[in-house]
Amino acid sequence: MKKGYYIILLRVLAPVLAIVLSALMSSIVILAIGKSPLQVFYTMFKFSLSRLDSVAIMLYNATPLIFSGLAVSIGFRMGLFNIGVEGQYLIGAFLAALAGFSIKGLPAVIHLPLVILCGALGGMLWSFIPIFLKVKRGVHEVISTIMLNYISYSLIHYLIADVFIDKSQKLIQGLGSILARTPKLSPSAMMPKLHGFLGLFGLQLPRHVYLNWLFPLGILTAALVYYLLMYTPFGFELRAVGQNREAARTAGIEPERVYVIGFLLSGALAGLVGLSDLLSYFGYMDMDFPRNYGFDGIAVALIAQNHPLGIIFSAILFGFLKRGAEGIQTLMGVPREMVSILQALMIMSIVVIAKLMNDYIKRLEKKEEMMVCSSENSSPPA
Amino acid sequence: MDKAVVLRGITKRFPGIVANDRIDLEVEKGEIHAIVGENGAGKSTLMKILAGIYQPDEGEIYIFGKKERITSPGRAIELKIGMVHQHFMLVDRFTVLENIILGAEKRLGIALDEKKCRKAVEELLSLYNFSLNLDARVEEISVGQAQRVEILKVLYRGADILVLDEPTAVLAPQEVKELFNNLRRLKSEGKTIIFISHKLDEVLEIADRITVLRRGRVEGTVLPSRVTKEDLARMMVGKPVMMKLDKEPVNAGDVLLSIKDLVVKESSGKPVVNGVSLEIRGGEIYGIAGIEGNGQKELAEAIIGLREASSGRIKACGRDITGLSIKEIRDLGVAFIPEDRHRQGLVLPMKVWENMILGYHTKKEFLKGKSLNLKAIRRFTKNKVEEYGVRLSSIEQPIEGLSGGNQQKVILGRELSREPKVIVASQPTRGLDVGAAEFVHRELLKMRKKGRAILLISADLEEVLSIADRVGVMYNGKITAEFRPEEVTSEDIGVYMLGGDVKAGEGK
Repeated sequence: MKKGYYIILLRVLAPVLAIVLSALMSSIVILAIGKSPLQVFYTMFKFSLSRLDSVAIMLYNATPLIFSGLAVSIGFRMGLFNIGVEGQYLIGAFLAALAGFSIKGLPAVIHLPLVILCGALGGMLWSFIPIFLKVKRGVHEVISTIMLNYISYSLIHYLIADVFIDKSQKLIQGLGSILARTPKLSPSAMMPKLHGFLGLFGLQLPRHVYLNWLFPLGILTAALVYYLLMYTPFGFELRAVGQNREAARTAGIEPERVYVIGFLLSGALAGLVGLSDLLSYFGYMDMDFPRNYGFDGIAVALIAQNHPLGIIFSAILFGFLKRGAEGIQTLMGVPREMVSILQALMIMSIVVIAKLMNDYIKRLEKKEEMMVCSSENSSPPA
Repeated sequence: MDKAVVLRGITKRFPGIVANDRIDLEVEKGEIHAIVGENGAGKSTLMKILAGIYQPDEGEIYIFGKKERITSPGRAIELKIGMVHQHFMLVDRFTVLENIILGAEKRLGIALDEKKCRKAVEELLSLYNFSLNLDARVEEISVGQAQRVEILKVLYRGADILVLDEPTAVLAPQEVKELFNNLRRLKSEGKTIIFISHKLDEVLEIADRITVLRRGRVEGTVLPSRVTKEDLARMMVGKPVMMKLDKEPVNAGDVLLSIKDLVVKESSGKPVVNGVSLEIRGGEIYGIAGIEGNGQKELAEAIIGLREASSGRIKACGRDITGLSIKEIRDLGVAFIPEDRHRQGLVLPMKVWENMILGYHTKKEFLKGKSLNLKAIRRFTKNKVEEYGVRLSSIEQPIEGLSGGNQQKVILGRELSREPKVIVASQPTRGLDVGAAEFVHRELLKMRKKGRAILLISADLEEVLSIADRVGVMYNGKITAEFRPEEVTSEDIGVYMLGGDVKAGEGK
């Protein structure tokens, strides 16, 4: 069994190697714009990690990505590409906002869970369309989810700017026009920040940090997803369908049923992606509501190789990069697109390295089997 | 005279294994030299070295007396070595002629000189006495003909040494005969043939000399006139092999599986199973012989519920199972050993214990509350691994790391341990070596003794004849004839496999 640990070590090592490799490659790009790679990386680390508020911002950045990475990974695990996390989280966030501003007078213990539930429901609703089309009509989920992303953009736009626009906004001296945004959410729908809790440990966070309880909730969710995948019959079916649909079907598992439940679950998680921003930072939904978390989630899931616990770390890595990008932009005048290049290189490296590593592990395992065989063959069973 | 091929001390290592270990081999010019060995004995590796696909780590190769390095498949062709692969590499939509010349076209400027090509191929046909319609599309011709196309491909490229990798695996007895006639003709024209197989009868019939490989080493080179089949099997396996299985008489019980007028249609609407009726009693093995693609696979899949029956009824264990879901059918006590282990039987990247419970993961004994009871599952897996003698390093390893025989044992352990009443075994020994195949046969006979009804579908006629109680021949979606194995020879059955004498069969 010693080899077992060695193999686990190799699996963990793969993403680390990929990060190092991509850092080396992006050094070339940094050199090309006339900066010193070492200094740039040093600045990123120093800026992100040397102050408590920076670390908290990093974790705040990571929060939506944990959910979106998990949502994408569940799709990948069953062999489907949920490219629609993007649209699902916007719809989820809108439904959550709707429950947040339209319901008044509920106590927070009821209102907040209700809002979260609405977020999940919205994501689920938006994921039901593509999976229904896939299972019933054979429409490829990549096409339908991409299309639904566009529809969700426009739909949200319409809902915010026309249907639910906050008309109670006061204009300064009656000039200009009101902002295209929803009414503000009731305070009872807002997610408490972690400041008070961390204060108990003597960690004081400044007010401009919005790290909230959705971060620990994200970690808990990742653990739950891990348990679901590895320790429940449904998770077993989901993985079996993802790795060999025909064998699963032959064994009596209905892949279509697994697809529907799994995709709805993925959509429900996607519905939670936007909540950290909505419920602690904005407090309303407007045209500037953050985009792209869904697509970043694909990268997060890839780097973690769809491992739910790995997703926590890769989401934090992306949170770190985002924070670091702000640092090198302000302190060194390096464009933040540099970090996008770094992320892209990281994804490519992980794909290549994971492949090489898996091949190597497979060979190791084969070798082990051959050794077992040859030692047993010398005394054939009667 | 120089020998066609001489190998001296060829060693090829792959990470963790020595596939070929100091192999010495001499092939005379103009002989048919058979190479036999179990799966994993190193036959394919050795042939890939000859064909320039692999490079040996050590050793020397002499072709017609000259030391050579075969650095690429192209170089192998230059040296007049032609490889006929087990899996045909043909373009279905091209004609026979187009397939033969593909990649070695004779040109007229930049255009294809079809006339010249056709003439060259026709000369080959008449020289070697091959019958082939050059203008037929490959998708329309039979497997035996497709194989002839493959052989012509290498002859057209000027090969003097032909390497045939398990050429008879896909053929009916009559087609094998025709292949052997072709090979003898090639030999008489001075070609050298290296023939890889693990079917011992065939090897004894066609080969001038036989080299046996075992675990990467040459076990010996023998003359077919001096050895028996049992001798060869012992050399291959390294221990005596029972060639005859003791099949005890079993009193047949109730009818456990009955199929009536079953029709299964392809998505195009063409019936692939066209009115099959049969009954199997407990304690009985019903064998289905036939060339692949005559509806056997679809028949099996219809029974287990993977395919819809467009008409007809299927009854198992006294219940009408037509139209039930796969899970319902399995829960009634129908076990399925699929013909394609990798596609249908196993989830290769998953662990051994995960594969051991696939499909049975919701059974009470594997659950604790709503979660999987990993302890119980691991215990169950360990027991089965021991009972069936599965060789592995750990039940935590992905099953793709196991050999084919051990993978099949996992499937058997999974499917047979639930006390099924009906067992549908589709090509259960495909790709297994002699030892593992024997194991599968013994397990099936054990099930027979326990009073199970077994449907055995196999392209290996010998297998069907040796363990089945009754044999039906399937041709074109129908069972065209039915025999008791002791009443027939493989030649008799071969006639029906090729669709001959259908009328007589229908009359029965």
